[in-house]
Amino acid sequence: MFDRTKNLRLSVIKQMEIMATQFPDTISLAQGVPGFDTPECIKRRVEKALQEKVVAKYSLSPGIPELRELIEIKLARDNMFYDWEKEIIVTAGSIEGITATILTITNPGDEIIVPDPTYTSYREVILLSGCQPVFVSLNEQKGWAFELKKFEEAITSRTKAIFYCNPNNPTGTTYSREQLLSLAELARKHNLFLLSDEVYKDFIFPLRSERIFSLAEIPELRKRVIRFFSFSKSYAMTGWRVGYLHSDESVIREIIKVHDSLVTCAPVISQYAAMGALEMAQKEVINFNKEYAEKRDFVYQKFDEMKNFFSYIKPQSAYYIFPKIIKKEISMGFPEEKSFSWRFSKWILEETHVAVVPGIAFGENGEDHIRINFGRNQKGLEEALKRIKKFLQKQKLV
Amino acid sequence: MKFFFKIILKYYLKYITKTVLFLHQPKIVAVCGSINKTFVRDEIVRNFKKEKKSIRANPKNFNTEIGLPLAILNVSSGYNSYRGWISPIIEALKAVFQKKFPKYLVLEFGISQKGDMKYLLSIVSPKIFVITDITQRYVESFSGMDELFEEYEYLAEKISKNDWLVLNYDNIKIRELAKRTLAKVVSFGEQNFSSEWRIAKIEKNPQGQKVSISYQGKEKKYQLNRFGKHHAFALVASLAVKNIRI
Repeated sequence: MFDRTKNLRLSVIKQMEIMATQFPDTISLAQGVPGFDTPECIKRRVEKALQEKVVAKYSLSPGIPELRELIEIKLARDNMFYDWEKEIIVTAGSIEGITATILTITNPGDEIIVPDPTYTSYREVILLSGCQPVFVSLNEQKGWAFELKKFEEAITSRTKAIFYCNPNNPTGTTYSREQLLSLAELARKHNLFLLSDEVYKDFIFPLRSERIFSLAEIPELRKRVIRFFSFSKSYAMTGWRVGYLHSDESVIREIIKVHDSLVTCAPVISQYAAMGALEMAQKEVINFNKEYAEKRDFVYQKFDEMKNFFSYIKPQSAYYIFPKIIKKEISMGFPEEKSFSWRFSKWILEETHVAVVPGIAFGENGEDHIRINFGRNQKGLEEALKRIKKFLQKQKLV
Repeated sequence: MKFFFKIILKYYLKYITKTVLFLHQPKIVAVCGSINKTFVRDEIVRNFKKEKKSIRANPKNFNTEIGLPLAILNVSSGYNSYRGWISPIIEALKAVFQKKFPKYLVLEFGISQKGDMKYLLSIVSPKIFVITDITQRYVESFSGMDELFEEYEYLAEKISKNDWLVLNYDNIKIRELAKRTLAKVVSFGEQNFSSEWRIAKIEKNPQGQKVSISYQGKEKKYQLNRFGKHHAFALVASLAVKNIRI
């Protein structure tokens, strides 16, 4: 019974959120939700669609044509050229696209290489598909960079893909063009797919006009690269569950079969919201980015005040910071927990009523760290960091 | 309140736009149809720019009763916010006095409701109309495809004999418009061999696609860095427009 699901686990982030509900005054810096509501222009686009009575029926399986056209135009602005008719699928959030893709490109028993630390749900999706995640540690000293040799060593005859998140969750760091190109060369040599999850790519720190490079920009790689994007983070639309994926026609015509059997189509009302986002909300994305950049600077300042307890790599994107706990000789209780970062996160939650995510949730290489979402409202962020600092001071740890 | 505001705004923008167009007399290319308008518009703009023509196009979706005037006046939208409209209303008025105005405008026409074509033609008088294709898209607000086609039939009958219709001959109903107009007609397509400008071959390659276009018995190849047949159609339609002297 339950052979397929017995090795799956409920996301640690969600476990932390559930634990946090026992304290009514908890401030959660755990779940990766943006601190904003969906922009008004997007809501108005949805209202219009409701009035026009166009949301009640299924759309075509790959999505509403107008939306896919808008996606093609948006991608072209970012130097990625894909045919909206045959090479773009609108998905129910990026995770559905990821699931459909892994089910499409693998057979049970295949392996997928995943950098460590990375987004928690990748492991579960890979296991659910009957495959094995193979974690390869990133180098924290080099700003959480790839070490190509480690990736090459991890490749076996069963390896099907390398699956990375860029900008990376939980570190907020990005991979350089050179690193990505060398990874692409490795994929070419071993005939692997490259799955690129780029849901945070619209946020860049410090603020600058240049884009985050994607391997999907390289025409020669289009049959190898499958790129995922979600409207959740960029447009504060986590609840709408809408995203998209794109790749070469030869790949997409296979993924679409799985997408169709999983969800038929992405929620049509959310597809209209996504149209509103692409048509009208670009200014909002820029404003979100500005605000996150200010919050990031604030968070630096607070962690610098606790620098004998935490060290951190400056995030270049997303809205996370992933500080390392450098003092480990602490008496915290929770002996049942093997993981130090779990014990620390529970301790902080119980003592300060601030929810953070233990680094172990993102892979073994994330141990000794905690992930903090600084995208929440400023007042809550200030109060949460004040509580943590005050508590650590009381413990004579900072 | 919202309804009345929209009516007032619509006519305010319409008459300011007509004034601006009267003062500057730009030559206008209109792109209509259910699909592929933006890509065709972009190709036409690219060709005009290559010839160093001063040109402006409407942003995507600025193609209806409110959006089209805003695009012509080069003013941003206030969308559904009353406050948001204060600045566009002032800017629209200022547009009457702008000195630099492009010599050419390439405008998408969004036809999504009965009467849209008549209204848009009451604002602008394009010299060239491109009809990309007419499909089921945007048919929701019409009683059926026949009623949607009536919009284009109105256009075909209204357009003057000195102006041009550039038609996608792959669509039989669009082909029939040629019989209902006094305007000069240029045709393009892929499947219909009577098209003057025809996509003879599309070869996909890692860099995009190589498109062979035949015109007057001669074939020429173009390498596009975009993927998808709609770009080949955008190319062939834009070449047909480029060949017209207005």
